[in-house]
Amino acid sequence: MRNITLAVRMLLKTPFVSAIAILSLALGIGANAAIYSMFDQLLMRKLPVQEPTQLVNLSAPGPMPGSTSCNQAGNCDVIFSYQMFRDLEKAQASFTGIAAHRAFSVSLGVRNEPVTGDGMMVSGSYFPVLGIQPAKGRLLGPDDDQVIGANFVTVLAYWFWEESFGKDPNVVGQTMVINGKSFTIVGVAPEGFNGTTAGNKPKVFVPISMRGEVQRFTRWDDRQTYWIYLFARLKPGVSIEAARAGINAVYSPIISDVEAPLQKGMSDKTMASFKAKRVLLDPGARGQSSIHREAKTPIMLLFSVTAIVLLIACANIANLLLARGAGRATEMGVRLALGATRRHLVTQLLTESVLLAVAGGIASLFVAQWTLSLIMSIMPPEAAETMAFNISPAVIAFSGLLSIATGIAFGLFPALHSTRADLISTIRAGAGQLTGGRAAARFRASLVTVQIALSMGLLIMSALFLKSLMNVSRVDLGVSVDGIATFLIVPRRAGYDSARTTVLLTQVERELKALPGVSHVTGGMVPLMSGDNWGNSVKVQGYDCGPDVDCGSRFNEIGTDYFKTFGVALRAGREFTEADQLGAQRVAIVNEAFAKKFNLGPDAVGKFMGEGGPPLPGGGENDSLNVQIVGLVPNVKYSQVKDSVPPVYYRPWRQDPNIGAMYFYVRSAVAPEQMLGTLRTVISRIDPNLPVEELKTMRQQVKENVFLDRMISVLSSAFALLATVLAGVGLYGVLSYSVTQRTREIGVRMALGADGANVRALVLRQVGWMVLIGGAIGVGFALGAGRAARSLLFELQGHDPLSFTIAVVLLAVIALGAGWIPARRAAMTDPMHALRYD
Amino acid sequence: MIDNGALISLSGIKKVFYTDEVETHALSDVELHVAKGEYVAISGPSGCGKTTLLSILGLLDTPSDGEYLLAGQQVAGLNPADRARVRNRQIGFIFQAFNLIGDLTVAENIELPLTYRDMPANERRDRVAKALERVGMSHRARHFPAQLSGGQQQRVAVARAVAGDPAILLADEPTGNLDSKNGEAVMELLSELHQNGATICMVTHDSRYAHYADREVQLFDGKMVEAVLA
Repeated sequence: MRNITLAVRMLLKTPFVSAIAILSLALGIGANAAIYSMFDQLLMRKLPVQEPTQLVNLSAPGPMPGSTSCNQAGNCDVIFSYQMFRDLEKAQASFTGIAAHRAFSVSLGVRNEPVTGDGMMVSGSYFPVLGIQPAKGRLLGPDDDQVIGANFVTVLAYWFWEESFGKDPNVVGQTMVINGKSFTIVGVAPEGFNGTTAGNKPKVFVPISMRGEVQRFTRWDDRQTYWIYLFARLKPGVSIEAARAGINAVYSPIISDVEAPLQKGMSDKTMASFKAKRVLLDPGARGQSSIHREAKTPIMLLFSVTAIVLLIACANIANLLLARGAGRATEMGVRLALGATRRHLVTQLLTESVLLAVAGGIASLFVAQWTLSLIMSIMPPEAAETMAFNISPAVIAFSGLLSIATGIAFGLFPALHSTRADLISTIRAGAGQLTGGRAAARFRASLVTVQIALSMGLLIMSALFLKSLMNVSRVDLGVSVDGIATFLIVPRRAGYDSARTTVLLTQVERELKALPGVSHVTGGMVPLMSGDNWGNSVKVQGYDCGPDVDCGSRFNEIGTDYFKTFGVALRAGREFTEADQLGAQRVAIVNEAFAKKFNLGPDAVGKFMGEGGPPLPGGGENDSLNVQIVGLVPNVKYSQVKDSVPPVYYRPWRQDPNIGAMYFYVRSAVAPEQMLGTLRTVISRIDPNLPVEELKTMRQQVKENVFLDRMISVLSSAFALLATVLAGVGLYGVLSYSVTQRTREIGVRMALGADGANVRALVLRQVGWMVLIGGAIGVGFALGAGRAARSLLFELQGHDPLSFTIAVVLLAVIALGAGWIPARRAAMTDPMHALRYD
Repeated sequence: MIDNGALISLSGIKKVFYTDEVETHALSDVELHVAKGEYVAISGPSGCGKTTLLSILGLLDTPSDGEYLLAGQQVAGLNPADRARVRNRQIGFIFQAFNLIGDLTVAENIELPLTYRDMPANERRDRVAKALERVGMSHRARHFPAQLSGGQQQRVAVARAVAGDPAILLADEPTGNLDSKNGEAVMELLSELHQNGATICMVTHDSRYAHYADREVQLFDGKMVEAVLA
């Protein structure tokens, strides 16, 4: 307690210096805590279920001929068909159960208010396998998914029950409309349970057997329709290896005996790998999500950056404590003379440094919160709502531990050094001179050199990321997105059938066109540059799609004036018109990549193609060449800003008998931001129960598409600048201290004839050496890091000379700036005063 | 091996400093015996080795050669931790520059050596109160050193030295930083302590103050040249 009291007194004695130290630590620890919050939530956090480490995720990579549909829960290598799930569920013996799930978009009628969001279709085994208990009523069980389309029951997520039902205790038994169908609420999931897929935050859980009711799905018996994600719980005492052997004993015969004979047109080689497919088991404690894989590299990169920032802050504080220790040499000597052991003194000094770090740690929580807010503001709104990074108890614990470790790390050397005082000289002189001063000076200079090296590395990396972001922003999209607002409506989820949907979409199109200032209105099924992809196998006139030949293409269903709205001039042919409707000649527009892939040449218009594989916009399986190509468009961006343009064919949505949703695009002379409210009003006037989703400008959509690049650039630049400023402060501190220590020497030099320029050069030479050595190490570090971060750079090499040059110049300027003030002060030394003073 | 019943017995003490290739003999064959209750003044010109001798006496430094018995215990070869323990329990220091710790109050400064003994808080408080009373500074217990005059600071330093009931008080130029009036007052205080039984070893270069001692030891070029009654 005595140590703590004295430590508090020492902090208050120099409030400005203490505040700077606490601020430095708060920035360093806070940045780390913010990234840890992301790390914890995205990569570490286990599901809040019974014994999560006993869960395993199933996958069966290999050929999947047919239709695949994957989402946030994982890529298309880890999905199964419904039939395979049921077969495995019935025959397996290694698990307590196998659970299936699939996320879907929901439109809900909650107390007459339309609400949209995520839902989760789950098997009856889902909740039993997880081993969780309901907060209210009951959860879904095996009896709820035995008959396809028979169980209109749902379980609410706890947060949704709280947010939309005000935790109504009588919620069980009430009905709720989900995607146009009435479901009975049978229970509420436990608090804190938000499904099993990071990045999805379902509002409701419905039986997976109800997919046909909440989505238009009929292919229950099709073993070539892959869409389900599976996980399982190991039986007690069964190892993961034994479980793998057990499940494959069931899986392999199904593949060989049941599914292999169903494959058509498969080459021998592909058939061999199809038959060799095996179920793989991966740890499932964190649930199933592609985020775990996608977020790993950026988060680890940011973690490295923030760790470096903290190291630099620690070096500053260590330097500060060393200087303070020199000032307290007499005190240390007196304490030793009075009988203190070195342990007593080290304990006292460490208490002071840990207290400083703890104060920094507490302040760091505010910095962390601010950093997380910045991160959330960069993220797309939908992702930000799902993630909701926050200062959790785990983050607080992390900050606490980091603070203590930091306090010990930066306090230990100064504590050990300051207590090595020569008793006699310090007590006699009382002037605060430390023996081993040369060693301390060397240590201080080394710390600053390391700081410069780390800052150099970070500056180069941030310059690389900034240049990469500039490259991304300069990408030729091929379309003009300025002046366009977009939104989604899903009439199907509001109870519209296809015929009424077509009428509605046409009405929406007309009413939007009638708005003042609006020049073009169009629609598309696949949102442009949103990351969404729809793909299909095609047959093209004159192109042979034999076994193992990739005949896939992306596709979209679009409205009239689609390309005119985006300012794209057709290479040949025409756009779709209202005459391109059901019953008329089936038509398509293709892009140049499509024409090239399928050898259509410049004369694509007029040729025929056909669509194969489900789902077919024209309805039903159709392998014939019955779609006429009526237009050829240049390659314009489709799904991702950074990806090269894939082959795409476009079909008129008016020829889709099952149309259920549409993204509208409205080009207007009015600023699109100002149009957003108007668009919502128009839809509300047409149907007040029809929710408007994803309402934004196209410019915003493009920004969201590259949010990861922006996030890495913004954060790494902010952290690099912070690191450089901290290093600059450290350099300034060391030089100031050194100039003070050398006052007499400088006085003597001046007395012997040195002028101001000589003295300035003396100090700046010190800066030059530190920058030269530290900078060289930093450049070496950046060359290695740039190579490692290549996957995050867009059209840029990790050794880009311009980025390196900018960073080197910036660091040199900051270092010279930090060194100039002490150099100037040294040059102004009055030799008489300096000699008398000493 | 010496054992003549003295509280302090130095025999053949040498201290050599090595800087670069230069060997400096700070003390040569010093013989000094201080009896319990004795008041000894060590004097001599600047650089004669007074402070080096006092540092060895106070276990702040170790001799290059020779024997040192403190209260019958051989202390020249003790390890740093044992020396710290002996300093804490047997020796009280009074420095020329007072060397009070500026961030501690008067009472906390006096309590400081006692805290290193793991003494119970009640006992520490009692001892601090008694020590303050002895030097007439009870009314300044909660003040910080910067709020005191030089003379008052030295009185506090004396209180800190006596609070632990040491076997010997070592005073290094105790009046060096004081004006003559305050210097006299501090010397009176030391005399009073001596009359009450304290053993004192004082380094001074001021012959006026050497006369307060029972005996004066003179050093010249690191050698004891004279031992006279004060």
